Amino acid sequence: MATQAHSLSYAGCNFLRQRLVLSTLSGRPVKIRKIRARDDNPGLRDFEASFIRLLDKITNGSRIEINQTGTTLYYQPGLLYGGSVEHDCSVLRGIGYYLESLLCLAPFMKHPLKIVLRGVTNDQVDPSVDVLKATALPLLKQFGIDGESFELKIVRRGMPPGGGGEVVFSCPVRKVLKPIQLTDPGKIKRIRGMAYSVRVSPQMANRIVDSARSILNKFIPDIYIYTDHMKGVNSGKSPGFGLSLVAETTSGTFLSAELASNPQGQGAAVLPEDLGRNCARLLLEEIYRGGCVDSTNQSLALLLMTLGQQDVSKVLLGPLSPYTTAGLISKPQVGIRSASRVPRAH
Amino acid sequence: MEAKDQKKHRKKNSGPKAEKKKKRHLQDLQLGDEEDARKRNPKAFAVQSAVRMARSFHRTQDLKTKKHHIPVVDRTPLEPPPIVVVVMGPPKVGKSTLIQCLIRNFTRQKLTEIRGPVTIVSGKKRRLTIIECGCDINMMIDLAKVADLVLMLIDASFGFEMETFEFLNICQVHGFPKIMGVLTHLDSFKHNKQLKKTKKRLKHRFWTEVYPGAKLFYLSGMVHGEYQNQEIHNLGRFITVMKFRPLTWQTSHPYILADRMEDLTNPEDIRTNIKCDRKVSLYGYLRGTHLKNKSQIHMPGIGDFTVSDVSFLPDPCALPEQQKKRCLNEKEKLVYAPLSGVGGVLYDKDAVYVDLGGSHGFQALDEVGSTHELVQSLISTHSTIDAKMASSRVMLFSDSKALGSEDIDNQGLLMPKEEKQMDLKTGRMRRKAVFGDEDGSGDSDDEEGDEMSEDDGLENGSSDEEAVEEENAEVTDECMTAKGVKRRKLEELEEDSEADLPAFADSDDDLERSSAEEGEAEEADESSEEEDCSAGEKGISGSKAVREGSKAELSPANHQRDRVNLEKSLLMKKAALTTSDSGHCTAEEVFASEDESEESSSLSAEEEDSENQEALRKKLLKPSQVGSGQKLGSRNLIDETSDIEDLLKEEEDYKEERNDPTETSGALKWKEDLSRKAAEAFLRQQQAAPNLRKLIYGTVTEDNEEEDDTQEELGGLFRVTQPDRGCKHKADSLDCSRFPVEAPHDWDLEEVMNSIRDCFVTGKWEDDKDAAKVLAEDEELYGDFEDLETGDVHKGKSGPITQNEDVEKEVKEEIDPNEEESAKKKHLDKKRKLKEMFDAEYDEGESTYFDDLKGEMQKQAQLNHAEFEDQDDEARVQYEGFRPGMYVRVEIENVPCEFVQNFDPHYPIILGGLGNSEGNVGYVQMRLKKHRWYKKILKSRDPIIFSVGWRRFQTIPLYYIEDHNGRQRLLKYTPQHMHCGATFWGPITPQGTGFLAIQSVSGIMPDFRIAATGVVLDLDKSIKIVKKLKLTGFPYKIFKNTSFIKGMFNSALEVAKFEGAMIRTVSGIRGQIKKALRAPEGAFRASFEDKLLMSDIVFMRTWYPVSIPAFYNPVTSLLKPVGEKDTWSGMRTTGQLRLAHGIRLKANKDSLYKPILRQKKHFNSLHIPKALQKALPFKNKPKTQAKAGKVPKDRRRPAVVREPHERKILALLDALSTVHSQKMKKAKEQQHLHNKEHFRARQKEEEEKLKRQKDLRKKLFRIQGQKERRNQKSSLKGAEGQLQ
Repeated sequence: MATQAHSLSYAGCNFLRQRLVLSTLSGRPVKIRKIRARDDNPGLRDFEASFIRLLDKITNGSRIEINQTGTTLYYQPGLLYGGSVEHDCSVLRGIGYYLESLLCLAPFMKHPLKIVLRGVTNDQVDPSVDVLKATALPLLKQFGIDGESFELKIVRRGMPPGGGGEVVFSCPVRKVLKPIQLTDPGKIKRIRGMAYSVRVSPQMANRIVDSARSILNKFIPDIYIYTDHMKGVNSGKSPGFGLSLVAETTSGTFLSAELASNPQGQGAAVLPEDLGRNCARLLLEEIYRGGCVDSTNQSLALLLMTLGQQDVSKVLLGPLSPYTTAGLISKPQVGIRSASRVPRAH
Repeated sequence: MEAKDQKKHRKKNSGPKAEKKKKRHLQDLQLGDEEDARKRNPKAFAVQSAVRMARSFHRTQDLKTKKHHIPVVDRTPLEPPPIVVVVMGPPKVGKSTLIQCLIRNFTRQKLTEIRGPVTIVSGKKRRLTIIECGCDINMMIDLAKVADLVLMLIDASFGFEMETFEFLNICQVHGFPKIMGVLTHLDSFKHNKQLKKTKKRLKHRFWTEVYPGAKLFYLSGMVHGEYQNQEIHNLGRFITVMKFRPLTWQTSHPYILADRMEDLTNPEDIRTNIKCDRKVSLYGYLRGTHLKNKSQIHMPGIGDFTVSDVSFLPDPCALPEQQKKRCLNEKEKLVYAPLSGVGGVLYDKDAVYVDLGGSHGFQALDEVGSTHELVQSLISTHSTIDAKMASSRVMLFSDSKALGSEDIDNQGLLMPKEEKQMDLKTGRMRRKAVFGDEDGSGDSDDEEGDEMSEDDGLENGSSDEEAVEEENAEVTDECMTAKGVKRRKLEELEEDSEADLPAFADSDDDLERSSAEEGEAEEADESSEEEDCSAGEKGISGSKAVREGSKAELSPANHQRDRVNLEKSLLMKKAALTTSDSGHCTAEEVFASEDESEESSSLSAEEEDSENQEALRKKLLKPSQVGSGQKLGSRNLIDETSDIEDLLKEEEDYKEERNDPTETSGALKWKEDLSRKAAEAFLRQQQAAPNLRKLIYGTVTEDNEEEDDTQEELGGLFRVTQPDRGCKHKADSLDCSRFPVEAPHDWDLEEVMNSIRDCFVTGKWEDDKDAAKVLAEDEELYGDFEDLETGDVHKGKSGPITQNEDVEKEVKEEIDPNEEESAKKKHLDKKRKLKEMFDAEYDEGESTYFDDLKGEMQKQAQLNHAEFEDQDDEARVQYEGFRPGMYVRVEIENVPCEFVQNFDPHYPIILGGLGNSEGNVGYVQMRLKKHRWYKKILKSRDPIIFSVGWRRFQTIPLYYIEDHNGRQRLLKYTPQHMHCGATFWGPITPQGTGFLAIQSVSGIMPDFRIAATGVVLDLDKSIKIVKKLKLTGFPYKIFKNTSFIKGMFNSALEVAKFEGAMIRTVSGIRGQIKKALRAPEGAFRASFEDKLLMSDIVFMRTWYPVSIPAFYNPVTSLLKPVGEKDTWSGMRTTGQLRLAHGIRLKANKDSLYKPILRQKKHFNSLHIPKALQKALPFKNKPKTQAKAGKVPKDRRRPAVVREPHERKILALLDALSTVHSQKMKKAKEQQHLHNKEHFRARQKEEEEKLKRQKDLRKKLFRIQGQKERRNQKSSLKGAEGQLQ
């Protein structure tokens, strides 16, 4: 060919996921250099390698070249294939790390994706599976990605450092996305939550619920926080507990916040009461930020807007998170078809 | 006589009159009309059968839904591009004549030589691009892809030709545009009947090809070498009112049918290397969808390219603006065909070309009023601009008289509209222009610079001016030492930093701006004393303030002041600018300020900013080394153009602030504080809000590598410490989507809680949504009602108030004149609500899913239209790309030089935009069928030319067929009359795209050229085509069911791979591979369902994946020399090669057919064990007769030995008997003959006898009959007699 789709080149491992995801969607190869080149432990980490392996599994014909030290990565994307896949995620990062990217890719597969992910379901770094289930899935539904097979099921919970959780995510194929008009956030009509505890006393969850309610009750009475205590093989390999809260508005948008206990053997023990209160405050912060899409899903919403038809979509966002901003910058990779203007809240 | 001839009045039996009469008649009979029948006799119209009713209902519904199309969002642009009319036909059929006639019909102009597309305005809302299509198959394929309407010329005196059918087939494959047949040469028919017959025959054939009822036009004959005016006029009418269906490929891809080409290559490069790659700009109307800059395109016949630049130009063939009259006036009938040299004026980004057309050109121009006018105005204005520019500059530097400013004013105010557009164009152009060769751009630089400086504060302007000064090299400034140059560069750096500060396109930009200013304000604080003093000074003397203006760290107040001054007089500004040269600030200062400004910029944007800056710096440095001021100018311009929007906004801000210009100096301090506070508050809130528009749509440097290099380069000149480490850290930081809260609020505080209380349903609602309010409103409307059952009258809430109202009414009456109005309004409201309720109850129920969907689409279309309606094209283009209908100029680099050298305007140049990943190559699977008119079948691995998407390319396909289990089995040849699969290595094209295949595009083939057609099924990066491979082996040792087999594999390893595989003997005994044996190598143990024979051959059927040759060769027909463009030939098939080189195929000896020699097979007899035989029933027992064993000796008869005498007797007896038998035989024969004779005689006799009898009988019957008749007659007579 006269001009092959020339590859893009980046330095540093930040936003690795977004770069690879966008590269896959646009079909342009990327080269990422200087991945932790100055670090004591240079090169790709285990979780990144696992992510790349996952990409390889869901695509067909991808070419991945990593140099010996792991500091340079060349990725030539193949076609998004889908099908039923199983993947053991690295326990260094939560399943949310992988799931976020899968949410971007899944609607554009050749065959409907059905994937089993194993690893850490809830941790302190990545958005937990609960939150993604409660916020990202309704968001995708707004884009017309819907159907019986569209679900995210938490089979087992796994907390860091041991992991041992299991999640089943299945998504139908939608080549054409509906344009969205999310400009009215509405008013929050209810707050739901999930307080989970594994390999600790079941009482922990109840304590979390009480403390979280104590704060949220000042705003709205319609609060229900489920307690989820997993036992036996479903409880993963490490003890821990946490809370995720979701506020639903009258116009069907969701804002979320979550907090998890420190992993076993790292940091001081956390009191469930503190955790509950802090998580409730985080939710209030999220509400304060406003917008129709909560901060973890901003980039997902924007990406799907650009990948949709060439119709005008509108979305109201709160302050943009750094992750979203990075996503916006790398959009030229895809070549924005639909013009998206982002008005700001407040 | 006359009365007899008169016709009788005939009553009307049908028509309205008859109907009326009938009705009246029925009414007279008290029967009523048919309508009443239903009422009269309801039973007759009742449902007879529910099943039939349901069926009929279903049927009507089915018919109704059949008409539905899936609604799509209407994306047609408001001003659509011209319709592409392809005039196609075999040679000598009258294509050019038809085009000429059409053009003359629409524009009243006569074009003698037509090359390339001709665009004309055909109506108030329609333009046409007419292009001729010869019978080169390359051209046919290309044009079929872009055509909206095809005029298919057919020579009626000859009939259909192959080209016509080929083109129809091509059209069918690549989306079916409208096709209209035009029959020509109808005057060659002598007899009318023959003409009629031919017309009918051709029409019906045409209908079978296109669709029944397709329009076929007849051009009856030529008059003076042209078609008849009336017929052409009719044809034109047909074209102008024709409606078009959207075609999938065309509506999903941007494309341009280029009508003009310019070579932009540096002449020096061409001189040094005539074969160097060219830079080319192509012009044309954009069609299809939006085109983005830097996107990938494919030019059929040339190759794939990346668009290096796109810009839009004013429409050269615009639709009439106001449409008051029914038809176009002469001025609006434009024609544009630059390749044919028509159209007069050619616009470019930086220039306007006027084609004066030699000595005769003027005459032609006189005829064409519109173009003439345009040309004249352009010629004059063009020169005047130049003159103006020159004079203004001169005035400026010789002395600052009012003359110069006047000129500038003139430019600002009196510029005609068109001119201004051009300026904009040039302004945009300068962003990437090469500065060595462009004078015109420099001129416009100047203007732009002026405009910019008005907005931007003075720094930009000053440097601009300087740049311009240098560029023109009119003044040799002594101050322009090396140091001076350096300083100026630094200034520009500042500007860069400022430009990189977040700035917003929308009205809330001022917020961001304030944050930027905040940084400045901080700086101002540092040198607060100094600044304040100076500010005070500025309050008094504007010119001084301007002098200071060259410093970047001006406080907002400063800006205001400057602005005021600006408004006062441009002259002052100019003066200040000249003097600003002497206003010094050292490099250190500048850098300090720059760093600060960087810090102040929002955190997230910091990285990008620094990147940008460095990139810019690098660009800056180079010019500095060269030492040419021109490039500095260019630098400025880049900044300016990118910030146009920002600046405009800023201007607005300034205007607002201008209201209190005098206050600022006095109350500067607290004001500053205020703004800072506000800005800080905003910053806190909007910590990560960089300039989104710029982030997304602006040019963001992607390469971090470059930046590193620049640092080193910078190191030599300035000692700049870069936040390298920080950057690196950032690059390797945690990849996480969470957005942690950095400054959490204290949610226990009441006011903090109150800040979000309204976000809940329990909080306060907006007026129109507040449930209580809405309820109250409803109460007012519906409050009072009367319960009909009980007779109670319910009053609204206002019950207690009404009493008061009664009292107050009189008082209020004169006070409230609008009470009546409000009452009226209330009444109207009530009515509206009631109507809404009614609608909801009755109308909404009927809206179907289809209606909803349609409504939704319409809403979206409206939204799409509304979103960018109010924006000017420049901004719009950035958001949504270039929209179809625009006349664009596309710059393409690295075009092969042959394209320019061998340019032939007769061949269409198409720029087809490629979608996402359509530029990649991979394996493409398609369903293919050999065309039934193609004589040969196609062979796997023979190179063939495909036309898929925009592309034409040669590739090597493999044909396969899918077995029942989904296996794709390789085929050597395509099936004769069946679909098969084909896979090739080539460009990825979306699924569902049609394609066609031809074996060669060169030369003239007598037969139908399209070899196969089909559709793309699947795209993949791996392939699964397999071919059958049989491995054979021979048993060398046979046990009962186990055998040792050798010769199938070569090593134990190979055997190990196939352990457990199924094997079979030729005779059909199935088995399995068990395990490898140690010796001989490759032998294995296998078990079978029966015992083998040593003569058996064992084989294993395997499927071997076939690799597809990665061969993709675009057809570069446009690069061939003029006149040879239809001679492109690519890779040849082995058959062709063998033929060319005279190599005969050496047949494999084993493949030859030999006479089959079969050895006689001897079968052993069936042996049934005795025990078994015994057990068998008698029926099945072998019935072998006990062999006639040996006859015992005593039974055996002895041989007779005769005596000679006896022998004689015997001989005599023998002879006698022979004679006797001979006699007997003869007698028998005689007898037989005699018998025969006798038989014949008898037969004859018999026949005669029969005949006689027959005659006799006949006679008898006749007599009998006569007798009977007689009897009858006599009886009748008797009767008559009786009667008489």
